[in-house]
Amino acid sequence: MTNAEFRTAFEQNKDAVYRFAWRMCGSPAVAEDIAQEVFLTLLRQPGRFDPARGALRSFLLAIARNLALKRWRDDSRLDVLENGFAAPALDLESRETADAVSAAVALLPPLQREVLILAQYEELSLEEIARAVDAEVGTVKSRLHRARENLKRMLAPLKSRSVSRNIGRSISHGTFGRS
Amino acid sequence: MEPLDDRELDRILQQWQAPAAPPSLRAKVLPQPSPWWQWLTTGTIRVPVPVGIAVLLAVAALLYFRTYSPTTERPTAVQPAKSVSLADFQPVKQLEPRVIGRANEGN
Repeated sequence: MTNAEFRTAFEQNKDAVYRFAWRMCGSPAVAEDIAQEVFLTLLRQPGRFDPARGALRSFLLAIARNLALKRWRDDSRLDVLENGFAAPALDLESRETADAVSAAVALLPPLQREVLILAQYEELSLEEIARAVDAEVGTVKSRLHRARENLKRMLAPLKSRSVSRNIGRSISHGTFGRS
Repeated sequence: MEPLDDRELDRILQQWQAPAAPPSLRAKVLPQPSPWWQWLTTGTIRVPVPVGIAVLLAVAALLYFRTYSPTTERPTAVQPAKSVSLADFQPVKQLEPRVIGRANEGN
């Protein structure tokens, strides 16, 4: 990989890698460390990327995913990696919607969180996610389904808020009760 | 409480926006070109060992032969006598001999 190719790869993928790490870890400093490590890995070992196996972005996100999980393991939180998770009750009334979503996603087990982020925010296909997380497509589909079900329960309090906001917006626009 | 449906969940999830990569990431990943003169203080040169040894031997040999070469003029304590020109020596124009005898001893 030439210097110019590396720069292009960095410019095209830095935001996606950083965003993914930021959503996985919830810390700008950790996300920056992970993103840096991802691109340095590409620089040192460009041969690890095989274009026949998928897009460069998926490859970089897979590295970021492994680094994020490694940090998770180093923090000895592997016990709730996937199973045995019960959606906790969140006090969402006083939170802004974005903060509430962030808190709810952070409570998901990492293996559910990563597939949700890759599918929902990075818009990777199930096959791409399966390659990135080194799992079967069926497993990915199952994790994604469980992640969404957990979020539906955890974020349910936001439903009434959004309904009341919609009513308020309709009243302000004079459209309330027309539909 | 009734859970969200898929459409509501998607709409709420989209409200969680992540920031773009900070500019500091670029500085960490892409090395910035440094001014050429900085190399004079921080630069390094990789020299293969055989080349380094050859250079050292060449320098040592050069110093040795410059120091002990027979063609080199050694600093000597006694300089060889040079021929003296007598061109500037002038004879005395008029001799005025003066004889000092015993009779004049008192003077």
